[in-house]
Amino acid sequence: MSLFTRNALIALLITVAIAATIFYTVDYLNRQRVEELRAIEDQLATDTLSIETQFALLAEAPCEGLSENNAFSGELGGLGDRLAFTEEKLGATDPEVLRIKERYTLLQIRDYLLTKRLAKTCDLTPVVALYFYSNVPGECADCDRAGYALSYLRQTYPDLRVYSFDYNLDLAALKTLIAVEKIQDTLPAFVIQGKRVSGFTSLEELEATFPKGLLVPAATSTATSTDN
Amino acid sequence: MDLTILAYPFLFAAIYFEAFLLVTFLSRPARAARAREISTRTPVVAMVVPCYNEENTVGGTIDSLIKLEYPPDQLRIILVNDGSTDNTGAVMDAYRTHPQVTVIHKENGGKDTALNAGIAAAPEAELVGCLDADSFVEANALKEMISSFDDPKVGASTAAMSVHNAKSILERMQNAEYILGIALRHILASINGLYVTPGPFSLYRRDALVSLGGFRSGHNTEDMEMALRMQRAGLIIENAPGARVFTKAPKTVPALLKQRVRWTTGFLRNMLYDYRDLVGNPKYGALGMLVLPLGFLAIIGGIGMFFLVIFQAGLQLFDTYAITSGVPLLYTLSTFIPRFGPVEWFYAPVSLFALFAVVALIGSILFMIVGRRISHTPGSIGLGILAYMLVYGLIAPFWLMRAAADVATDTRRSWR
Repeated sequence: MSLFTRNALIALLITVAIAATIFYTVDYLNRQRVEELRAIEDQLATDTLSIETQFALLAEAPCEGLSENNAFSGELGGLGDRLAFTEEKLGATDPEVLRIKERYTLLQIRDYLLTKRLAKTCDLTPVVALYFYSNVPGECADCDRAGYALSYLRQTYPDLRVYSFDYNLDLAALKTLIAVEKIQDTLPAFVIQGKRVSGFTSLEELEATFPKGLLVPAATSTATSTDN
Repeated sequence: MDLTILAYPFLFAAIYFEAFLLVTFLSRPARAARAREISTRTPVVAMVVPCYNEENTVGGTIDSLIKLEYPPDQLRIILVNDGSTDNTGAVMDAYRTHPQVTVIHKENGGKDTALNAGIAAAPEAELVGCLDADSFVEANALKEMISSFDDPKVGASTAAMSVHNAKSILERMQNAEYILGIALRHILASINGLYVTPGPFSLYRRDALVSLGGFRSGHNTEDMEMALRMQRAGLIIENAPGARVFTKAPKTVPALLKQRVRWTTGFLRNMLYDYRDLVGNPKYGALGMLVLPLGFLAIIGGIGMFFLVIFQAGLQLFDTYAITSGVPLLYTLSTFIPRFGPVEWFYAPVSLFALFAVVALIGSILFMIVGRRISHTPGSIGLGILAYMLVYGLIAPFWLMRAAADVATDTRRSWR
């Protein structure tokens, strides 16, 4: 075997080894991301249970006990951001992503219900928006724009709680929510303070859907962060 | 639509080539070349300086030749004025009285004709050095190269080139590239894989030059054409990494483009028209099977990657505009500002493409460091490496595209 042939073969082995290491590294990082998502999700599940238990224990005076400590929604938002990032890396159809997404959706629904209960019991008026989108190509041309506009509104109005749901996710609780809120398949769809809105044209129009005076800009808001 | 997958074959090929270079660098022939002792032999050497309108630099070139550490009676310096229209002829004539110097004035006929005139004027020389009139040799450069010719099959030997007095970003970038070239030439020479004997300074066995018929225009790349002819004739092209030569590099982007278009069209035309039989031919070993095919792939990859980046960036820009339109611009801009604070590994931009590109880049930097070490080239190359990383990829696609278009449309451009 000539020196050239020998070196060419060794180089090929080295290159394949480098490529394999790169593939392994990316896969390892993605698996670590999924692990972290699971850890956050477990923590959130515990937090949900804790809040619900607290709520039950403090049935006599739930408002004092809960309103100050509910940093839960912020954590939920963090999980949402991480989930979106992982979904982009692994793909929307990855089984692990779908599994975590289902649990995240459940947590969102529970947080939404808890928020509604707190509002009713403590006479609060939280600003809530439910947002239904689709990842299926061609099914929702305006979803990316609508999602971005909501991110802007969330940043501008810290009191705003946004719950985002993948309309096509195969989850019984979500299907029930869709049925209860009477959401049609014209996406994007919103439920803003109980009012149903379909389609998205502009930020101004979306902003105008919120009842006047409810949205308080960040500079004048005194509430604790409810960033979702 | 993500087209980055198209880049992977090119990145894989780049890493493969670097791995091949590394293995060959560590192989016995390359180690032996690095350990080669300076020869005690002092054959008659003629240094030919072909020159056309180089009044500002030719004096320095001649001075550097006069200072060569070599027995004066064994060294001829032949200055060939190729019909210059500036003061070059007068500068050359000022050296006429020097015992080693011969000055030839001729009508303008091109660099190859000037070189041939110089070679013809030194029939007694065993070796002929060709030095561009904007290049300057180190005093020990010639001595470093003599031992390359111990093997009678060696037809030529190349030197270690770097940029003379690199100051601007563009010059530093080219310097880093030249130093990378030092490593490449050293390694590829150890397996006879060189396809160019660079004009700034290469040394030839005179008999080989004469028997091959002297220099030809070679599509304005006479140094490449001669190297390919030597390879076809079964001669070996060696390298002496300790033989340093400094050359002037283009100072402006248009001048750089002009030079590189000439080099690239020369490569393509020589390969496509005159030396196609070498490409993919196992008879020519590393040159035929690896170096020349990868030369083509580098041109295709350089152009392809450029369009890929432009397309992806355009698509990203279009998407961003479509998604963010209607939302205050200040908010959108704020999302691009890096936030200071604890780094979250979760969001690390680690992707297959990024890692492949980083490995390929690290390989290039490694060989720049190797090039500098084996040639003991003075000066720092840190800024040059940075400039190379940031600027080279932005300019190179333009000369590759123009060269490809020139070859496709049979457009011929002047040397300058």
